[in-house]
Amino acid sequence: MISLSELTQLFVANGWLNALLQGSVVTLQISAGAFVLGLGIGLLVALIKLKGPRWMVRLANFYTTLYRAVPELLLILLLYYAGTDLLNMAMAAMGRDSVTVNGFIAAVLVLGIVQGAYSAEIIRGAIQAIPVGQLEAARAFGIERWLLVRRVLLPTMLPFAMAGLSNLWLVLVKDSALISIVGYSELLSVGKQAAGSTKHYLVFYLAVAAMYFIITLVSNGAFRVLERRINRWMPQH
Amino acid sequence: MQKLIKTLAAGCLFSILANHATAAEKIVFGIALEPYPPFSEKAGNGAWSGFEPDLIQALCQRLQAQCPLKEVSWDGLIPALQSSQIDVILNSMSITEERQKVIDFTAPYYQTPAMWVADKSMELVTTPEGLKGKLIGVQGSTSNATYLKVYYSKGSTLRYYNTQDDMTADLQSGRIDVMLADALTIEPLIKSAAGSGLADKGLAPKDPLFGSGIGAAVRKGDDNLRQQLNTALAAMKADGTYDKIRSRYFSVDISAQ
Repeated sequence: MISLSELTQLFVANGWLNALLQGSVVTLQISAGAFVLGLGIGLLVALIKLKGPRWMVRLANFYTTLYRAVPELLLILLLYYAGTDLLNMAMAAMGRDSVTVNGFIAAVLVLGIVQGAYSAEIIRGAIQAIPVGQLEAARAFGIERWLLVRRVLLPTMLPFAMAGLSNLWLVLVKDSALISIVGYSELLSVGKQAAGSTKHYLVFYLAVAAMYFIITLVSNGAFRVLERRINRWMPQH
Repeated sequence: MQKLIKTLAAGCLFSILANHATAAEKIVFGIALEPYPPFSEKAGNGAWSGFEPDLIQALCQRLQAQCPLKEVSWDGLIPALQSSQIDVILNSMSITEERQKVIDFTAPYYQTPAMWVADKSMELVTTPEGLKGKLIGVQGSTSNATYLKVYYSKGSTLRYYNTQDDMTADLQSGRIDVMLADALTIEPLIKSAAGSGLADKGLAPKDPLFGSGIGAAVRKGDDNLRQQLNTALAAMKADGTYDKIRSRYFSVDISAQ
């Protein structure tokens, strides 16, 4: 068993607590970036699927199918390594120097694109759950298209989408750990380094697990508040 | 909002383009983010230490280059090298035929030596003649086993084990007379209380049968950099810099033949 003084030595004096906290911040940054990007893509794709021209619907269906089918880890590897290769080939063809892709941007991009595919389906389902009469009523009042989306469709869709989206966020926080493959120092990779350098595997893996758990608890609380606000006009059962 | 987007876009573009300015004198060394003490380990403040980071630093002083370390997961090292995100892998990567198909290696900069270990009281001459009639333990399917098979199988009896632990246990209980083991893993055991009855009986001589060792990897065809590294490594071995760094972490000689 490890003693308390050893623990404080490891976490405080050796600076690993600080490193882990920084890792959690990076994890949250990646997740937040990808979540926002995913919501944007998801909303767009959902609207296309419901109202777009035939060829765009096909494209949207292809996108959601493909990105839900391929493992995120593979996508990260593809975008980060193969993508950089392609980019450099293109740069070389244009006579430019080679470039390096920032790991953070790659992470947000890949996870955001994958999130987009999942959230598109959630948002599409939520929009379809809106009673048709409400939209018809809005149209009858002469509300024009984008105002209708912004003031009627989005707010009435959100209560149906919230549960799915908050679930997606939690999955995303954990998926962000996949980005450690490209050497980005998020929570899990910092934990691995701490464990490998100090040989206190159990201690650090448990600490990392605890941090993910805390992130989940806090996000649950935040989503509960948000949900209460968004659901405020829904009929109470 | 628009301003924010513009700033963000400019930031992204900058971070993509920022790295090419000083490409000439900058060599990016890739290091697995999973620490491998004592070859590489990381402190809580983010600083790397260990045999390999020290070696990289000394190499760069000699090459008068700027050498940032870039952390990549072990699995990602070769792809990162191929996609030019790093220029060199100096991270305990064994030179193997499969890897040589996709990347080029420098001459080996270390090799795990094989060490003869036996009971403290045992007097041994570890030549094939000296070990005639003895029972020798070795881990199966290793280069050590190949070496023994070629030079020792005529006069001595070889016993193959699956794990180092099984072999050590049999040596301690006297079922084998001597074992040929990986020096870097067995040395800490001999020094510990658990292995106090055992003693180092010398290293096996360097031999091609022990494999090609561990080299620094560069992109295929990056011969200029490979030559530079080879020259610098050879010079560091010649003037004692290598040994000075090595002795900080290992008491046995791990330089390649």
